[in-house]
Amino acid sequence: MPIHEKSLIRPENLVTNDNLVIDGVDVSGHWSTFIKSRTVTDYNEAMQEEIAAMPGGENIHRCWQCGSCTNACTVNAVNPEFNPRYWIYLIRTGMEEELLRDKDIIWQCVSCNKCTYACPRDVFPEGVMKATAHWLELKGHTGKSPSSHFDDDFTESIIDTGMIEEARVLLTFFKRTKQPLAQPWLIALITSLLKKMPVGYLFRLGFLTVFRPKVRNWSKNRVALQEYVDERKAAQRAALGMTGKGDH
Amino acid sequence: MSDNPILIVGGGPAGLAAAHAVGASGRKAVLVEKADRLGGAPILSGYAKLVPSHEWAKDAIGGMVTRVQQNANVTTHLNTSVQTFTGEPGAFTATLKDGTVIAADSAILTTGFTHFDSLNKPEWGFGTYPDVVTSVQVEQMISSGKGIRCPSDGRVPDRVAILLCVGSRDRQIGREWCSKICCTVSANMAMEIREMSPKTNVYIYYMDIRTFGLLEGEFYWKSQEEAKVKYIKARIAEVTSDGKRLVVKGEDTLVKRPITIPFDMVVHAIGMDPNVDNMTLSAIFGVGLNRWGYLDKASTYAHLAETTRPGVYTAGAASGPETIDDSIAQGQAAALAALTRAGFGALKAAE
Ligand SMILES: Cc1cc2nc3c(=O)[nH]c(=O)nc-3n(C[C@H](O)[C@H](O)[C@H](O)COP(=O)(O)OP(=O)(O)OC[C@H]3O[C@@H](n4cnc5c(N)ncnc54)[C@H](O)[C@@H]3O)c2cc1C
Ligand code: SF4
Ligand code: SF4
Ligand code: SF4
Repeated sequence: MPIHEKSLIRPENLVTNDNLVIDGVDVSGHWSTFIKSRTVTDYNEAMQEEIAAMPGGENIHRCWQCGSCTNACTVNAVNPEFNPRYWIYLIRTGMEEELLRDKDIIWQCVSCNKCTYACPRDVFPEGVMKATAHWLELKGHTGKSPSSHFDDDFTESIIDTGMIEEARVLLTFFKRTKQPLAQPWLIALITSLLKKMPVGYLFRLGFLTVFRPKVRNWSKNRVALQEYVDERKAAQRAALGMTGKGDH
Repeated sequence: MSDNPILIVGGGPAGLAAAHAVGASGRKAVLVEKADRLGGAPILSGYAKLVPSHEWAKDAIGGMVTRVQQNANVTTHLNTSVQTFTGEPGAFTATLKDGTVIAADSAILTTGFTHFDSLNKPEWGFGTYPDVVTSVQVEQMISSGKGIRCPSDGRVPDRVAILLCVGSRDRQIGREWCSKICCTVSANMAMEIREMSPKTNVYIYYMDIRTFGLLEGEFYWKSQEEAKVKYIKARIAEVTSDGKRLVVKGEDTLVKRPITIPFDMVVHAIGMDPNVDNMTLSAIFGVGLNRWGYLDKASTYAHLAETTRPGVYTAGAASGPETIDDSIAQGQAAALAALTRAGFGALKAAE
């Protein structure tokens, strides 16, 4: 919903009192419903900096609120509540509470990058969406999104062996996102592959699945890679003022 | 064309440009300035670094002053103004307050503007709270080298709000014009504040941002992208105080929510009013004023610098809000118009 169509009165801001007398006037009950103020009483300058410290969020401060991203957005077309322009504003002014109301839809960005090509200021809104979803996870506001699970699986596969094992990544992904393995599209894909694949290939595939060969001399690279990943994660946590390890 | 000098009234950027052009062409000019020195607003009000050149006002405009002072064809009268002005093109007679009588071929009015007085917008706290200041005061803080400090107790502000369009674009106070330069000046000022005290966060409250032409990237974008100045679309309703800090109230129109935000310093980006002398100037020189109170121009295109009275020209902020570079260009255009009055001036001068 475009922001101007949002109801200005939220149900949780409506207050009735069973027993309240102000200056001798009885203001109890339904007839004296109060509406709590929506006034913004301060800016939280840390929030923009935090999002900017996440990969993809670096250019958030450039936004001038033209709305091109939201207009171009694939997800906005089906869910009007999905509004990158609006969230960027909330982050820039530090309206955290307001942003958290939408925490369960921000991750839905499909990374089509239509916004990226529409943005006149090179804010890279797609990156900001990613950074924001990441921030929400790190802060513990949301559980891991499917895309974070996928990133983890992908990274683990590479760190383990130096290779991307599609089948394994897919399996782990389904397991971690608690999806059934028997996805109709996957079954269709595999059966058609099996029908067309030369027998030699099938043998190779079987061999690779069982023995999981690694890239030669991988262990050194693996250590370096793991170190880099840990370093980046630590830096991100530090930017959010978090100490200790662990993703959440 | 007579051999009489060309009278130039007002020694700001426009008047200095006109005087230089007239003098350089070989004709005589008489420059009358009511203040005790030349230079106009940038010098008299102590502006800091100018847009778009980033040159210090005292160097840039100071250079123009020196050039005119060294020009033997230009005579300057300071601390005085014109009291009567009579005659015809080619043979005007001007009498100054100090009694000097000047025979003039033509006259150029470069009498500039008057800074908007923020007391006329009491809801924005100027005059009530010491930490509400004008852009001119901030210019002076920067050019004095003392840095940005809250006047109340000398502390470096954590947070500064710049309110745009103070005294411009406001029918409530009869000012239906945009002062043209204050958006750019404010963006520049915000960058300078961030540079002088990086811990100070600067917010600019705007209705539109009018950093026209090439000023867009150099000032608006740069202030946002490099200095991380924040722009909030809101016209502030009032500035009050909670006893410790200033409180800026308004509506954040982008999220449709009221705001009451604490600030340490509030800066009014004040506009360019018509010169308070314009009614007097209009009567003395017999020139018309436009409906906003600036000196009226006879035509937009054909005779760029002409007022409603033949032989009397105008340039710069006297005829409406102008930038320094445009004032200079107009000053030169007015000089050319005066030199070529009647169509043979330049020929004669070449003899
Ligand atoms: C805060 C602020 C910052 C600005 N910064 C910039 C900037 O960075 N860059 C930019 O391009 N522009 C800037 N401007 C605009 C700039 O000040 C004007 O463009 C410029 O001063 C106009 O020059 P002028 O010669 O027409 O008028 P003025 O500078 O106003 O000069 C007029 C002169 O005439 C004299 N005078 C007035 N009345 C009389 C009279 N009756 N008799 C005799 N003399 C008289 C005055 O004393 C004055 O010396 C700024 C304006 C403001 C308010
Ligand atoms: S990348 Fe995300 S935010 Fe951008 S247009 Fe696509 S779905 Fe919308
Ligand atoms: S398109 Fe770019 S500048 Fe415009 S609102 Fe979106 S992020 Fe901001
Ligand atoms: S230049 Fe900007 S601040 Fe100045 S009056 Fe125009 S819109 Fe307002």
